[in-house]
Amino acid sequence: MRLCHPRPDICRAAALAAAALLSCAVGSRAAGTPIPHGTLELVSENQWIAPGHTIHLGLHFQLEKGWHIYWVNPGDSGEPPRVTWQLPAGVRADEIEWPTPRRLGTSSIVDFGYEDDVMLLVPLRAGVGAAALGAGDGSVQLRGEVKVLVCREMCIPGKAQLSLTLPVKSQAPEPDAQTNGLFAAARKAMPRPAPATWRISVADARDSFSLTAKLGKHIAQASFFPLEESQIKNAAPQQFTAVPGGFRLTLQKSDQLLKPIVRLKGVLVLAGDQGYIMDVPVNHTVAARRDDGGALDFVAASPAKRDWPPLQ
Amino acid sequence: MNRSTLYRFLVILMLFAVPLLIAAAKVGDSAPEFTTTASNGKTIRLSDYRGKFVVLEWHNNGCPYVGKHYNSGNMQRLQKQWTSKGVVWLTVLSSAPGKQGYLTAGEENDYLTKEHAAPTAALLDPTGEIGHLYNVKTSPQMVVVNPQGTVIYSGAIDDKPTTDLQDVQGATNYVSLALEQAMAGEPVQTPATRPYGCSVKYKD
Repeated sequence: MRLCHPRPDICRAAALAAAALLSCAVGSRAAGTPIPHGTLELVSENQWIAPGHTIHLGLHFQLEKGWHIYWVNPGDSGEPPRVTWQLPAGVRADEIEWPTPRRLGTSSIVDFGYEDDVMLLVPLRAGVGAAALGAGDGSVQLRGEVKVLVCREMCIPGKAQLSLTLPVKSQAPEPDAQTNGLFAAARKAMPRPAPATWRISVADARDSFSLTAKLGKHIAQASFFPLEESQIKNAAPQQFTAVPGGFRLTLQKSDQLLKPIVRLKGVLVLAGDQGYIMDVPVNHTVAARRDDGGALDFVAASPAKRDWPPLQ
Repeated sequence: MNRSTLYRFLVILMLFAVPLLIAAAKVGDSAPEFTTTASNGKTIRLSDYRGKFVVLEWHNNGCPYVGKHYNSGNMQRLQKQWTSKGVVWLTVLSSAPGKQGYLTAGEENDYLTKEHAAPTAALLDPTGEIGHLYNVKTSPQMVVVNPQGTVIYSGAIDDKPTTDLQDVQGATNYVSLALEQAMAGEPVQTPATRPYGCSVKYKD
């Protein structure tokens, strides 16, 4: 693996001076760029890109204690980080994959986001035509501008210019030992697809949604994070009721929700902080269906990949 | 009434009173009455403005989302545009003392002068009472009340939830839309949106 690019000679010389190393992108790991009350680093899971293959990049945020950034649905205030990529032709970044968020704040205002250390994942695909990319010196420069709002009691908008240079090869990309740990942790923090055996239903109950989950096991606690804004009252307590083989959550509707919604999407977090992706139709005619025996009440949680996450 | 009956009565009264206190106004509800002191020293009562459109603008001078609209001149432009058409524009400061955005009357007056702001009045709400009455989450959240005293809009100032000055241009301003539609006798097409911005720095 190359240590530095595009001028390895300069980098080797600089390696003697420790401070100068900071400005050099080292293989699949660039130095952290300062953002308000933290740093942001662009990392790659793989040592190189290859035409026809998708690799993952990571936006690794490290924040000072007490400061936070936001999930794709930020909740009552704030906004999620946004990236504008500048990529060579033939290379495309997909939408951000968001780790399971945390509830921030306990008062009448509740946000969804991350504290301390978090990595957002970005799939990066090199098209088959990308073979010509490495024609020059056999590498590509991946650049992105990140706008991020960092908040504690107050909020500070930040901007970071990120850059990472990766070789282009024809063989399938190999993982990078330097970043493996980071990506393993990031994957662990991601919500998983809900198991196919789970039966999750959502009923529209006038001022609230009643979410019933039958998982075939006893569940002690659960909470729901709505993917879309303005559907539920973020700050309202989510009333948890154990039911045989699962639980029911009562979610108060948002004041901004003036029309019925077709589906409720989000992340269901069970004890142990494991998040599960949930995307189920909302049943507006519970009473009528109960008369039919309730067979249609339960619908498998089947998140179609293209539906997740629909928000940039 | 003996003591225990009185006690029971009080407990029941409290059980009812608490939900009433926290039931905040939303679109379609009648706008909750408030009385407060403005930075110019005047006592402001919402009901004094019955018969007029009233805009409530939640303010925090340290919030970058508020800064976007003041540094670009957008908020001042809106204030002038709508007050010239007879709309009452009330800027509300719900930050608690010691928190970001809290200003004394004098400080707020200096701010209004410096920013060439032109609201009808700036209301000091350090207890957060008015903010909670209207279920306000962020600055700059905006509320529009019609001449009949009904909340006809509550939410974001526009459709660009960012801190970038260049996003002001080309944004759809929900406050202006609500006022234009209501003044034309039409229903407000977008009466509620997610109010973007900084969380209101309420008293803990």
